[in-house]
Amino acid sequence: MAVDADVARLRRGDLNALSELIARYQYRLYRYLLRMVRQPAEAEDLFQQTWLKVVEKVRSFDVTRNFDAWLFTLARNLAIDHLRRVRPQSLDEPLANNEDCATVADRIPSGDFTPLDTALAAERRTHIDEAMAALPMIYREALTLRFEDGMKIEEIAQVIEVPVSTVKSRLRRSLEQLRSALAVHYGEAWR
Amino acid sequence: MIEHDKVRELLALAAAGALTAAEEKQVGEHVRSCVSCANELDAWRPIATELRRLPTPQPSSWLLQATLARAEAKLADEAEHVLNRHIIIFVVTLAWLLTIASWLVFDFVSPYFGSLLGPQFGHTWIGFAAFTALGWLAGGVAAVMLAVRQRGERRLA
Repeated sequence: MAVDADVARLRRGDLNALSELIARYQYRLYRYLLRMVRQPAEAEDLFQQTWLKVVEKVRSFDVTRNFDAWLFTLARNLAIDHLRRVRPQSLDEPLANNEDCATVADRIPSGDFTPLDTALAAERRTHIDEAMAALPMIYREALTLRFEDGMKIEEIAQVIEVPVSTVKSRLRRSLEQLRSALAVHYGEAWR
Repeated sequence: MIEHDKVRELLALAAAGALTAAEEKQVGEHVRSCVSCANELDAWRPIATELRRLPTPQPSSWLLQATLARAEAKLADEAEHVLNRHIIIFVVTLAWLLTIASWLVFDFVSPYFGSLLGPQFGHTWIGFAAFTALGWLAGGVAAVMLAVRQRGERRLA
């Protein structure tokens, strides 16, 4: 059933519609919140708060709007309020740089599918995950919405309520910072 | 050179698939003739690819049920508030109707019906006002006590 139909049912107080919406969005929303706050327990709490907010505000939701953007905007506002309250510095500053643990194995780029390469690919993803977590919040957000969630630039602009040009600029800077962080592990051997 | 610098700025976004059609065309045409930019674009692509392949973090298995339970409680709470509001409106309306009706009955049975509006029966008016105020006050106290009790029960639940 389409999201719009579920939203219409939820506006009438149908809990089954809410169940379907939560099931539909749970991985995307949880991943987004986790990228924002970096702590699984906090992300889970914010996940619940987001859906309570949806229940509270769904009657005032403009049905001509994109539900995805509205949902992620609610989640974003809650996450930012939470970060402001709990770790205000985390809104601007990256985590401390990871230690330089580049080994010979770290520098081998993956390309084939042998067990060793599969393991190395997994390690590369771990490094990307760590490098991403070390970026400032606005850059983590841009990366996760574009690459993990596959949102269009215009949709991201709706979620974070900034112009498209700002989204592009954040995306470019986030990629540049990510690449610099990964160079610690891999140098320029990303091909 | 200006074109080269401009395209260079767009290469990360090109790998991210975040360019407009015009920008994409511009980048495509430039990288065909510029080895340096072509190499740079090639350097961006694996990063974009790996970002798309990052494993999706899994929420706890209980999260969906816990969220639904909290939402259900919230919906029930909201429904109760709406019901309470309707009940209060009904009770207040009924109370006013009863007050007016009792006044009419009082008027009807009173042997001094005609003189009630006279200034010499001001005391009757004060008595009636006091009776009404006392009734409303008792009703208000009962409502507050009920609300406090209900809140306490909800907290215990």
